[in-house]
Amino acid sequence: MNLDAKPLLTPELIRNKLRSVVDPEVGVNIVDLGLVYQVNVTEGAVKVLLTMTSPACPLSDLVIADAESVLRAAVDEAMQVSIELVWSPPWDPSMMSDKARENLGW
Amino acid sequence: MLILGMICLLTAVLGGLARLAINVPNFAQYQAGAHGALMIAGFFGTVISLERAVALHRFWPYLAPLCAGLGGVVLLAPFPVVVSPILFCLSGVLFLVASWLVYRQMPAIFTFTLFLGALSLLLGNIVWLLKAEIRIAMPFWMSFLVLTIAGERLELTRLLPPKPVGRRIFIGLLGFIVLAACLILFAVPHATQLLAASWLMLALWLLRYDIARRTVRQTGLTRFVAVCLLLGYGWLAVGGFLGLVGAFENGHPWRDSALHAIFLGFVFSMVIGHAAIIFPAVMRVKIPYHPFFYLPLAALQLSLLVRVVGNLCDFWVLRQAGGLLNGLSLALFVLTILASVIRGAASRRVTA
Repeated sequence: MNLDAKPLLTPELIRNKLRSVVDPEVGVNIVDLGLVYQVNVTEGAVKVLLTMTSPACPLSDLVIADAESVLRAAVDEAMQVSIELVWSPPWDPSMMSDKARENLGW
Repeated sequence: MLILGMICLLTAVLGGLARLAINVPNFAQYQAGAHGALMIAGFFGTVISLERAVALHRFWPYLAPLCAGLGGVVLLAPFPVVVSPILFCLSGVLFLVASWLVYRQMPAIFTFTLFLGALSLLLGNIVWLLKAEIRIAMPFWMSFLVLTIAGERLELTRLLPPKPVGRRIFIGLLGFIVLAACLILFAVPHATQLLAASWLMLALWLLRYDIARRTVRQTGLTRFVAVCLLLGYGWLAVGGFLGLVGAFENGHPWRDSALHAIFLGFVFSMVIGHAAIIFPAVMRVKIPYHPFFYLPLAALQLSLLVRVVGNLCDFWVLRQAGGLLNGLSLALFVLTILASVIRGAASRRVTA
């Protein structure tokens, strides 16, 4: 038995890892903000689709780089990690988690 | 590009000090008259259009900050006087098209506000090119920065529960600002007073509806940003109030206070707050938060207070000392950022 084996990769696990990427302006992570649209885990690859709240926001490259380094640390080296920025559907406040909305006074 | 912007900032600050009868190197002494153009069309034209270019992920929008930075730097070289404002206008056109793309990508009031901000910069630059009249260019340049910040803040209010009244007030304010801006070309004194009234109302709007009131209760960088914002809104209200009594006008004894409450108090507080967020995005460096960030912020606030009190009480030495300390506060801010970049690089090496 391989005791070093990483836990089974599931979209939920990937989402949990991505919670360490925080929007510094708001102090809320990208998952609770509803920016992570989709997580696909296949045998050799993890693919994440994420968005930004605004197309004028210059932070997208930084968020993608941070998310990528978090995921690379979480998965086997052989796994392919890809993160794609998408704008459809446009982000909407209803996409935030209940926890984030509660934090922001909803 | 950022280096070109920094050259604009340095020359603009030294040129500003020369206006306060402080000895500065000759190259900056010659630019005392271009203090506003260097600061807004040069420095802010560079950094804000750079920020938008980074967001758009295309090549051509980067030509906007390049032209803005070059527009400032050519002032220092023996080029015909007209080259600089032409480059500023070129930058303004590119920035306007980039802002239109942002609007097209997400049509919303906040992206439209950003577009109006970009339009104001271009109009200010065109006035500077055609008339070289600072009294007409300045209100447009001021609108560029205030609208850009207001648009970005409006975007973040979407994270809070919707407030239809607040939204309607913002739209009304925007209409008011556009009306005042249109009047600038016909009746400057009344137009700037209208503009000042809208800044005052906008400050109250931001204090009431911005997420900063909530995020200031958090910790670390998030709280620091919120503190910068709230202080900035206070200065926007001060500048708006002074402008309302006519202090945006050339020759008004309180003009120095009115303009610097807006540009230093409001705009630079915003810059200090967001540098640790935006700089890493633009330069791909890490800037870890440190409580030391409060020091340049406090220095800027206090020195601006000294300057404004000196100006309003007609106490020249105090105003001059405040102005000098404003410049030193900005230098301390730049040093803090540089030290943080080095600290960030060192911590990255340790973790690697």
